[in-house]
Amino acid sequence: MDNDTGSVNHKLGRVFNIQKFSVHDGPGIRDVVFMKGCPLRCLWCCNPESQNTFPEIGYIQNKCIGIQECGYCIKACPKKAITNSTVETPKIDIDRRLCDHCGKCVDVCPARAITLFGQMMSVEDVIKEVQGGNASWRTGGGITVSGGELLLQADFVHDLLKECKKRGIDTAIETSGYGDWRELERICRHCNLIFYDVKCMDSDKHKAFTGVNNEVILDNILKVASQFPETPVIVRTPVIPEFNDSWKDIKAIVEFITQLQNLTEYELMAYHAFGEPKYRQLGRKYRLERVKPPKKEYISDLQQRANAILKKKSYK
Amino acid sequence: MEAAAKVLTPQEERIIKGLDKEELTTEEAKNKRQRVNKLLARFRKVPRVDIQRALLFTESFQETESLPVVLRWAKAMENVLNKIEVVINDDELIVGTCGGTGRHSILYPELRGCWLEEGLQRLKEQGAYLVSDEDIKTVKEKIVPYWRGKTAHETYISLLPEETRYLIYGDDNYGASGLMQDNANINATLNWAVDYQKVLEKGFLGIKKDAEEKLNSLDVVDPQNHIQKTPFLKAVIIVCDAMIAFAKRYAELAREMARNEKDKIRKKELERIAEVCEWVPANPARTFHEAVQSQWFTQLGCRLEQPTTGVISNGRIDQYLYPYYKKDLEEGRINEDSALELLECLWLKIADFVPLNATNAKSFWEGYAHFEQTVIGGQTRDGQDATNELSYLILKSKKEFPLHYPDLSVRIHSQTPEPFLREVCELIREGTGFPKLLNDEEIIPHLLAQGATLEDARDYTGCACTEIRMINTSTYMVVGGNINLPAALEMALNDGVLKLKGNKQRLGVTTGDARNFATFDELMNAFRLQVEYLVRHFYIRQTALEMTNAMKLAAPLMSSLHDVCMNELTDIHQPLKGGVSADTGNINLNGFGTAVESLAAIKKLVYDDKKITMNELLEALEANFEGKEALRQMLLNAPKYGNNAPYADQIAREVDAMLLTTARKFKTPNGHQYIKFVPVTSHVGLGVVMGATPNGRKAGEPLSEGISPTQGVDMKGPLSTLLSIDRAKSRKYANSLARLLNIKLSPQVVAGEKGLQDLMSMVRTFCDLKLWHLQFNILNSDILRDAQKNPEKYRNLIVRVAGYSAYFVDLSPQLQNEIINRTEHQHM
Ligand code: SF4
Ligand code: SF4
Repeated sequence: MDNDTGSVNHKLGRVFNIQKFSVHDGPGIRDVVFMKGCPLRCLWCCNPESQNTFPEIGYIQNKCIGIQECGYCIKACPKKAITNSTVETPKIDIDRRLCDHCGKCVDVCPARAITLFGQMMSVEDVIKEVQGGNASWRTGGGITVSGGELLLQADFVHDLLKECKKRGIDTAIETSGYGDWRELERICRHCNLIFYDVKCMDSDKHKAFTGVNNEVILDNILKVASQFPETPVIVRTPVIPEFNDSWKDIKAIVEFITQLQNLTEYELMAYHAFGEPKYRQLGRKYRLERVKPPKKEYISDLQQRANAILKKKSYK
Repeated sequence: MEAAAKVLTPQEERIIKGLDKEELTTEEAKNKRQRVNKLLARFRKVPRVDIQRALLFTESFQETESLPVVLRWAKAMENVLNKIEVVINDDELIVGTCGGTGRHSILYPELRGCWLEEGLQRLKEQGAYLVSDEDIKTVKEKIVPYWRGKTAHETYISLLPEETRYLIYGDDNYGASGLMQDNANINATLNWAVDYQKVLEKGFLGIKKDAEEKLNSLDVVDPQNHIQKTPFLKAVIIVCDAMIAFAKRYAELAREMARNEKDKIRKKELERIAEVCEWVPANPARTFHEAVQSQWFTQLGCRLEQPTTGVISNGRIDQYLYPYYKKDLEEGRINEDSALELLECLWLKIADFVPLNATNAKSFWEGYAHFEQTVIGGQTRDGQDATNELSYLILKSKKEFPLHYPDLSVRIHSQTPEPFLREVCELIREGTGFPKLLNDEEIIPHLLAQGATLEDARDYTGCACTEIRMINTSTYMVVGGNINLPAALEMALNDGVLKLKGNKQRLGVTTGDARNFATFDELMNAFRLQVEYLVRHFYIRQTALEMTNAMKLAAPLMSSLHDVCMNELTDIHQPLKGGVSADTGNINLNGFGTAVESLAAIKKLVYDDKKITMNELLEALEANFEGKEALRQMLLNAPKYGNNAPYADQIAREVDAMLLTTARKFKTPNGHQYIKFVPVTSHVGLGVVMGATPNGRKAGEPLSEGISPTQGVDMKGPLSTLLSIDRAKSRKYANSLARLLNIKLSPQVVAGEKGLQDLMSMVRTFCDLKLWHLQFNILNSDILRDAQKNPEKYRNLIVRVAGYSAYFVDLSPQLQNEIINRTEHQHM
């Protein structure tokens, strides 16, 4: 059941970024709201700061101006988690095991070398931030809610999208589809466009590379298609070497999605390693270091073959 | 979220593939317009200084000392037009040059002849202009001695109180202090576009006839006639005759060359040239070819007559040439290709003339700055959309013609047709920085508020950098100058003391020790007082310049094409009763973004959050942040203007309101002056001499440009920048204009059909927001960095600097860096 939202919605959600002026996530010029927290752990994830539901601190070493001139964070940390770096002198090290994400170091860091991923924002805060750029709504753009996985904060996302629609802001979501159907159903009611990831048809392999099986995901997308036949769906597949980059893998996905009557586009997204520095910022290890991005020609060949099948099935 | 692949603009692709010699950019164009391609192949980059105009002008002035200035000017023009070398080069269709064959600059010794003595030598050494030793000798011996003590610049300097002079010039009357910077010794007139249509429709014979009739009906007993009207009309008649005679010299030359020409085709062409020059500009143009030739003769005459800021504008070229284009097309005399060929022959003529903007103040006007604004689109006098086939054809030429001439502007309004906007955005996407966009929705109401009629307002043309002009109504305005806003703020922080080039001096007013300011408002007030002090001196300067120019300058040719002058029968430099002095902003403010961000940082860190003290701030600035990096980082990370966030945008609005109010406190004989935000490249030059500023900027770095935020701080995408610019407009009075805004985009942001649509949306948003001006740079910084390292490879890389495009490799390293650093609004 929808809760009727009042004029000012104070419901809180955890957002790790609002990207202004995005031109690749739906029609027009858009603002993308990234929700924090994801039940999947895709090895290639290029937004590792999106995965944990709790706030996290990121540290960008080359922005740090060093302890000789600064060192404010060391003094500010109540947990003694920050110390003079023994390796990268004269900079700092953060012991993530001691850190409880209180954010005190973030407040004092003059260089914004330390940042906090995951601010609590109300629906109203988000609307203000995105509507502040209200000129973009005249330009065929709108808001795209992404993640993380927005289904983990479904209530908030639902209210946000509903509020946007009420104000005439175009809405889109980007989802892995991994979550409760009832939540997804509520959210889809307020969406003008759905980006839906289908990563692999082989459930075991899916689990090995993302941490979860794919049954729920596939089940949900069929439900989306049957319940929201008017809402366009764009299916995306990240093409990851050694995981799903064979034509066999892609073909299986393509054959599956031909049954979606609201499919408007199928997009292959080539693996890239641009997320790697973020792993360092979070003090984590990037596990696909050896993996090379696939060749451009290879991807466009796969895309063409996929399109050929989709066309043959008399899909536009 | 996917990483965008690197997308190159067409310009970048041509460069990387090594296709960077001067030629038309498509095979089809090359085949269809071989003549243009041949002319381009001979195009020479480095201009030569040609001294003919200076010599002939001086020669005449030596003989006319007893005459009124307007007649002296006419006779000098006559001497120049009768004797200057006439040349017709191979393959040319449009003929006429101000200074011989090839690319050239000419000299105007009447303005600042004394500078030439050392200035030419310096130009030669810098290598940006070719000057022969012989010519330098001639200038020193024959030209400078006559003008010493007689130039407009000397009169002007002598009319300035010493305090004012020192604030502007410091120790060098041909340089700049850095606190203010004057363009008065470069150009005579702020900007100009003449009524070309008048020449096309009446011819100079018709204009002369009007003058003769008026002269005959003047009552000779009336003293006002004696003093003013008679000499003016006589001057008009002299220049009309001189213009006609000049064209006839070309007709004769063409005929003679035709007689000796072996090649049958060229022979015919030369005969045609002879016929055209025999007929125009004396008579009304009958064909497109005649119209283009007549237009060129007219602007050539204007270029010889006076140096106007950034050279004379082409005006609304798609409007006044259209009837000739249409008629020729209908009657089968031309087709699209031959029309393009003629237009491009005109572009080549324009490209061959380089305004000499050098002074002793370095890096103020770099890269052969030129603004012969060529305006297309917009509205007709009765408010319809004015776009026609010629507008499209000119856009096409701009895509295919490789030189950054002419400076192209498109007037955008709410009814700009979608297909036209599409073509405009396609051209923007080429990445050459063309066209610049002027917004009718802002400019027309602005002109109405100054008292223009609706028809005249709708018929405005772009002029100079981002300024505007109503060709028959706007009166003349002397050249303006720059005020360095961050320097005013520094004086507010230091009780009137400013450090320039490392020397501290009390240049401003005493506003007290900033350490004792209890509130931010006290600081704002001190800032206001410093600005007011500078603006006051600016007005003193402005009056001195208006007086000087009325005494020293005349422009009978340009005046003969101006309705107000022909009604009042006086030269444009004299006080005029009619007309609208809604001219184009003289108080040019530099470093608006730097000042606003500095104020926002101080408000936040010193007054609101109390994270630092005023004393700490001042010490850090004094030390140029040596050992104070933490403090500098706080300043850098304070709220920034340009992100559509209220904190800094609100301060921008307050500063804007303060500036508009201050500008209205004073008057010159012409009335209140307007403020504008057109740095050209002076924000770099003014930055070089300045110390550190409270926005975290280190000493010597460039100031912010135009109305834009500081380079690199607007991180929330161009729409947020547009909105901030909108918020920063206080709308207190309609006395601010030419708010220059430069947005740089990566090619991938505008790639593909979607990218094109998004770009169109941005332009529509700009139009909706009623912002004055917008220009795009579409490049990526890797390319620019590579161009810095390998200038040879990138000779042809054109970037938009500020209101004009220039070759990237022509710019100084500082300006190159500045362009690289301007935020690249790039999607991740
Ligand atoms: S977030 Fe808190 S606990 Fe963690 S490092 Fe910073 S100050 Fe220490
Ligand atoms: S506060 Fe920031 S800049 Fe200072 S030492 Fe810590 S991380 Fe580095």
